[in-house]
Order: sequence, then C-alpha cells, then structure tokens
Amino acid sequence: MTKDTHDHYTRRDVLKRGAAAGAVALGSGAFLASPRAGYASADEESSQHPKRGGNLRIGVTGGSTSDSIDAGMYISQVSGLMIYQLYDSLYAFDKNARPQLSLAKEVEHNKDASVWTVRLRDGVTFHNGKDVTAEDVAYTFRRILNPKKPLIGAVFIKKMDLKGIKILDKHTLRIPFHVPFAQFPEVQATYFYFIVPSVGYNPKAPIGSGPFEFRSFTPGQQATFVRNPHYWQSQFPYVDQVVITDFADETSQLNALSSGQIDLAASLSGSSIPLVKAAGGTAQIADGMFYAPLAMRMDVAPFNDIRVRQALRLVVDRKQMRDLVFSGHGIIGNDIFGYYEPTYDHALPQREVDVAEARKLLRRAGHTKLNITFIAADVAAGALRGAQIFAQQAAAAGVTVNIKQVPVSTLFGPNYLHWHFFQDLWAYNPYVLNVENDLLPGGIFNGCHANYPPYTKLWGKLTRTVNPSEQKDIAHEMQRMEWDGHASGNIIPYFIPTIDGIGKGVFGLTPSKTGNYLGGFDLKTVWLG
Amino acid sequence: MLRAFSHRHPFTALIIRRSVVGVVTLFVVSVLIFGATEVLPGNAAYAVLGHSASPAELHALERQLHLDRSVVDQYGAWVGGIFRGDLGRSLANGTSVWSFTEARLVNSMILVVLAGVIGSLLAVALGIAAAARKDTWLDDAMSGIALAVTALPEFVVAITLVILFSTVAFHVLPGVSVFAPGTYAWSGPRRLVLPVASLVLIIVPYIFRMTRAAMIEALESEYVELSELHGVSRVRVLLFYALPTSLPPIVQVVALTFLYLAGGIVIVENVFAYPGIGQGLVNAVNARDIPVIQFIVLVLAAFYIVVNIVADVTVLALTPRRRSRA
Repeated sequence: MTKDTHDHYTRRDVLKRGAAAGAVALGSGAFLASPRAGYASADEESSQHPKRGGNLRIGVTGGSTSDSIDAGMYISQVSGLMIYQLYDSLYAFDKNARPQLSLAKEVEHNKDASVWTVRLRDGVTFHNGKDVTAEDVAYTFRRILNPKKPLIGAVFIKKMDLKGIKILDKHTLRIPFHVPFAQFPEVQATYFYFIVPSVGYNPKAPIGSGPFEFRSFTPGQQATFVRNPHYWQSQFPYVDQVVITDFADETSQLNALSSGQIDLAASLSGSSIPLVKAAGGTAQIADGMFYAPLAMRMDVAPFNDIRVRQALRLVVDRKQMRDLVFSGHGIIGNDIFGYYEPTYDHALPQREVDVAEARKLLRRAGHTKLNITFIAADVAAGALRGAQIFAQQAAAAGVTVNIKQVPVSTLFGPNYLHWHFFQDLWAYNPYVLNVENDLLPGGIFNGCHANYPPYTKLWGKLTRTVNPSEQKDIAHEMQRMEWDGHASGNIIPYFIPTIDGIGKGVFGLTPSKTGNYLGGFDLKTVWLG
Repeated sequence: MLRAFSHRHPFTALIIRRSVVGVVTLFVVSVLIFGATEVLPGNAAYAVLGHSASPAELHALERQLHLDRSVVDQYGAWVGGIFRGDLGRSLANGTSVWSFTEARLVNSMILVVLAGVIGSLLAVALGIAAAARKDTWLDDAMSGIALAVTALPEFVVAITLVILFSTVAFHVLPGVSVFAPGTYAWSGPRRLVLPVASLVLIIVPYIFRMTRAAMIEALESEYVELSELHGVSRVRVLLFYALPTSLPPIVQVVALTFLYLAGGIVIVENVFAYPGIGQGLVNAVNARDIPVIQFIVLVLAAFYIVVNIVADVTVLALTPRRRSRA
C-alpha cells in the first residue's frame, strides 16, 4: 500500500468527513463544502481530510468464472461491485436506498406515467472523452431489450415502447411505455441499466462514465480499475486504483485482511467480527434489505393448505434465529419485504413465535406429524445455519424438517422452479420489482408458484399509481395479503445484515440500507490515510 | 519375440508398455469425466446466464456453445479438437482453455516441485539420522513428532502456520498468496514460503517413517555388518551401503507423495487463495465449464501416469536383480 501525499485542495473541494455520504444525495446537485481556515495537525488531518491517491485492495467471495463487467450483466454481487465502478445510470440509490438523480438532471412524466422525458446532465463524458448523450441512453435500452440477446434488466422494462423513443435534443429523450410505469425512477436506480456509449462499446474492454476506468479483468480471479480523472462528480474518486480479488472462502479473505494484504473484506459473517477487530480493523454493519426466505410452493401438498403455511411461519422464533446467526445484528422480519421503502407497512403486527397456535393449525389441517424436506444451500452468510435452527424450532411443534443441502448452482439450476420447500435469496430491489418476479404468476423467480388474483390486480394498479400516498395504501393492502399467507409462501425471519471488514487506514466507507456490501458498492468515497 | 525384446531392453519395454496403458487410461478418464459432468444438474448455459434467463435465451446460448448436440457428438468434437492441438474455449467466458489455465498449471507445478523436492530431501535426511540413532531419545522424539503432524488435517497445518507467522503471533509473512492473474508464483517468493512450508510439513512424516524403516532393515543386513567389521566409517556405511539398498521403497514413497501432492495441494491452495489448478477446477465445476474441467483433469491424470512410469523405471534401475531376470 503506497503512502499517499497531500494534495492541494481548493476550499471548494474540502469536505467534512461525513459529507462524503451526503454528497450522494444528488437531487440538490450541490456538494456540501466547508471552507477550512488552514491545515490542522497531521493527526487531525488524517482523520478528517480525505486524501487522494493509493491502491485500494478489496477481497470478495462468491466470484466465479462467469462473472462479467458487461454493463447489463449484473449476475452476482461481485459483478455488481465491478460494474458499479465503471458505469453510471440515470438514477442511483443513496445510502437510504432512495433513488436519486444521477446521470439524469431532470425527469418528467405525463399524467398517467406512460411517457417519461429524461434530460441528461451536461458535461458528463465517457472514459474515452466522448459526451454522454440521449443517443447513448436510447442505445443502452435497445441493447438491453435486444430480442436476440436480452440482458438481465430486460424483464423489468419489457413494456418500454422502444420504437417510440424520441431524441428531442443532444441531452433529452422521450421514452414511452405501452402501459403506465410509475416506478420508472426506482427501476432505473437498480443495477441493470448502466449507460454505455452507442459507438465502440466492447464488453471485454468496456467504456463507461463511472468513477473508475477498466484496466484488466480475469473472471473468477481479479479485476483492476484506475481512477477516472474526469469523473463528473469531480471530487471523486479519491484512490488511484482499485484491485478486486476473488477469494474461495471467508477464512483466506480474513487472513488477507489481518496480514494487511487487502484493505476491505466484503460480506463477512457475524463470527468474523471479533477477528476483524483483533486485527486492528473495524467491522461495518449495515442493516440492509437482502433477505433469504424459506419458500414454500403454494400449489403442492402440504403447503397448498394455508394453515400449514401459517403454522410454519409461527414456529420460527425470529429473534432467537437472528441472534444465533448474526449475533443480534439485522432487522427482524415479518414475512414481508422492502423494510426501508416508504411503502412498507410497519403497522402490521410483528409475527412472534407461537408453537401452540402452530400445533392447532396443523391439527386442523390434518398434519399433526408433518414430515417435510427443506432444500438448503449456502446462498448467503448464515443461510445454512438458519436452516438448521429452523429445523430445531419446527421440531417443537411436531414438524420434522429434513435438510437436504445442495450446491448453490444446483439450487438455482434447472430445478429452481420445481422445489417444494427451499432456500431462496432476494437482493434489494424496489418493492414492485420483487413482487413482479416473486409473487406474480409468470414471475421468473416465482418459486412459490404464488397466484392470487386480487393481489395481481393490486400490483397492476400500483404500477399505474403516481401519488405516493396512494401508492402506500395499495402496497399496504398487498402486504396484508402476503402477511396473511394468501399471496406469498415466503417465511422471512430476518433481513440479512451486511458486514464488511475495514482494514487500518481506510476511511470514507458508509453503510447502505440496500444491503449491497461495501456501502452499496460505493467505493468512490473511500480514501486511504 | 516380444519376450526376447523385453528381456534385452527391459527399460524400453517397460516404458512402452506403461505408456500404452497410460494413453488408454487417459481416454477412459476423459470419458468418465465427460459423463460425470453431464450427470450434474444444469449446464454451462445455466451457469453463465443464471436463473433469470428465459428458456429462449438458454437455448440460444446452448446452441452457441454446442451443448444442444448429443453427448457423444460433443465428446467427439472435443477429442477431435485435442488431436488438432485445439483445447477449446472456456464455456464460461470464451477465453481459450490454454490461456485460462496455463498460469494456474505452472503455479501448481511450482508448489508440487518445491514442496516435493524440499520435503523429500528433508524427510530422507531425517530418516537416515533417525535410523542411525535408533532407539535414542532423538529417534523417539522425531518419530513422535512425525506421528503427531501426520495426524493433523492439512487444513489445520496450513492455518496454524498462518496464525504463527502471519496474523497472530508474528507478522513476518503474508497470510495469503494472491498473485495477479497470469503471473507466475516465482515472482513473489515471500508468498510461496507458507504454502510450501505447509505442504512440506504434511508430506515429511510419511517419507521419514519409510526411510527410517528401510534404513533400519538395511543396517541390519549381513553385508553392512561385514563392512562395519572391516572398519568402514559410519557415514560411508549409511550413505553408500545402507542407503542404496533402501532406495527402492523410498523412491516408491516419494512417487506416492508426488501423486498425493497433485491432489492434496487443493486444500493448501484454498487456504492461501493461491492461484493454482485446485481453485481453477472448483470454479470450472461450478460453472459446468466442460472444456476446462476436461483439460485440468487430463493433465492431472497424465501427471499420475508419468510419475508412476518414472518411479517404476527408477526402481528397476536401482534393482540389478530384476534387470537380469533369467
């Protein structure tokens, strides 16, 4: 790790330490600046004054040889981390998981939200110096929705009227949809819509407009990116270079952090926190919105009986499970998702463990000695442990759970929509998206085979509702149906806390409520001191 | 006529015979691995696109990767490619199999050769010393330590070294051995120390015990007694009289150790995040990347076969009686 040297700041560039996070609230377009009278002592400086330079080394797990840095191929968190450095999209999530204007400066919609007009920020360039224009945005959507090779984000914008896109001027375009699409901003903040140049985009040596530029990438091993000196958020990034290395497991990842060979270790389990501290680092814990539900298929016995589903939700001692798996970190779940979204219904009573009621329900359903198999996999930190704890808790209600562990690639392989009772994993996406994929008939990840027509109707209404308070009412109705068990076969005991290990001398990382690690992939605010 | 030939040229005959069997073995192995990968649920297209892909997208990619052909066809296409010198391309990301695996192969070779050579020499030396001082406290101590070390799983040995020299007790050596993709491990010698030391610790006990046992037996033979009575020095007796007789079993054990290393480095590579074929193989299986899996497994099988041939030839060379069988 090279020692950095002081850069010479103008007063406009100096930031208070906490302002780095606030600067992501781009709606205002202004950065918090605090003119300093003069430099203070060296110690004070290293703790308050972001320094430029250095090589930021990051260790991640869960990488694979299929990882990609194609802007439209966010197939894993490792891919997501890399893509987030190279590109920008029209909106970006802030640390509170709210979409904020990013490449877009102004966005308007017509009355029923079926036509969106986007005006881009001026002066933003790609890494090759070319301006980011409306044509590039149109090209990006055409590329994602290419019928011969649709990219991951195609499914959420499939109602876009591609042929009807009109370029109004260099930085403005009008995007019509076949049906109203009220959640266009939230969807554009997800990690599937990064903007690429319309000319000369090569996914193997990609050009984007992001804070870092591509230098090298070997899938499953290592990626190296260098600072973009012309990044449109001009005070970012701080470090000169980012090196992301794949590790096979957490043990070697932690060893690398302890021996100073990496500066950040992404996505650790709770038991690693003392080890990080012992090595002189800090553990940053973000209460994020990822969740790993135990999913029941609602169209096969015994789970097709709503009483059985509700009984299994009642045997879970959520607090105990969360405490055992994550040492008290993470939000307790109530079988519904999107905890920090404005639409989340905090008024729904928190489901508590109730073995007596569970037994009663099972007896009424005729399953006093239920024997079921749960397909478990190491999908996320703590998932396997959670499954074992569930089996023990279920035994108290007379339910025998046989855990069958499979590799993750098998779980999410061709049998994915055929398991009866299995481990699922959901990253953070806006509520409407996860509903569409998980709980609607035809949803691509609808492992529960959920199909409740009143619920589907409400979802259609939600996507056409622009008024936030009306959105809340509809969403609350939908969540009641999920909670009651009519619309959802998910047991969500907790939301997964994201734990990152920060080595000595690394500053500027702040937690993100999305649950994506390393502050929501936000490396541009990190500096080495 | 064949018998006469093998009588007059025992080495050549042995090598030819073993090589033919070796080639047949390689074919059988390649068929088995192909079949085994097919049995796994999912294929490379699933692994690349993830479960968000529609059936249409999956089929398109499968066609592109030739996964829609019958298994026999795919195997035939692959074998044909091998004979043309074309190892194929990785299904996961399209790079050529050779460029993808070359550095990993070299790096694993470095570990195997360094650990094998250092460990064998060290173990043989210790075995000779223990045999020379049979039943003294030194001998008992060495045998006891060897037993204790051999009882530990490889993972424990590796992690103990990391704790001692890198993360907890002392901080003098790197805890992981990460190298930039495509670079060879000799570019960072400090990062080689702990992985090689772990492997050496793991393999020394077995070779040590065999050496000691073989040396003890040799030292009790008549011609050694006779040479001692003639006043030959102890050192000469050990090195030039007892050791040559002990070599055949020692060579066998060393060969077995090299064979073990080819597979056994996987755990050590895992602990140290070392970019070798261990991780390469695990990644390839997860991605159902058949060309890469095939290539790595065949290299390992070929290594096994070659080491066996070399061991057998060496033992033959060291055993004059067998060369001149009537």
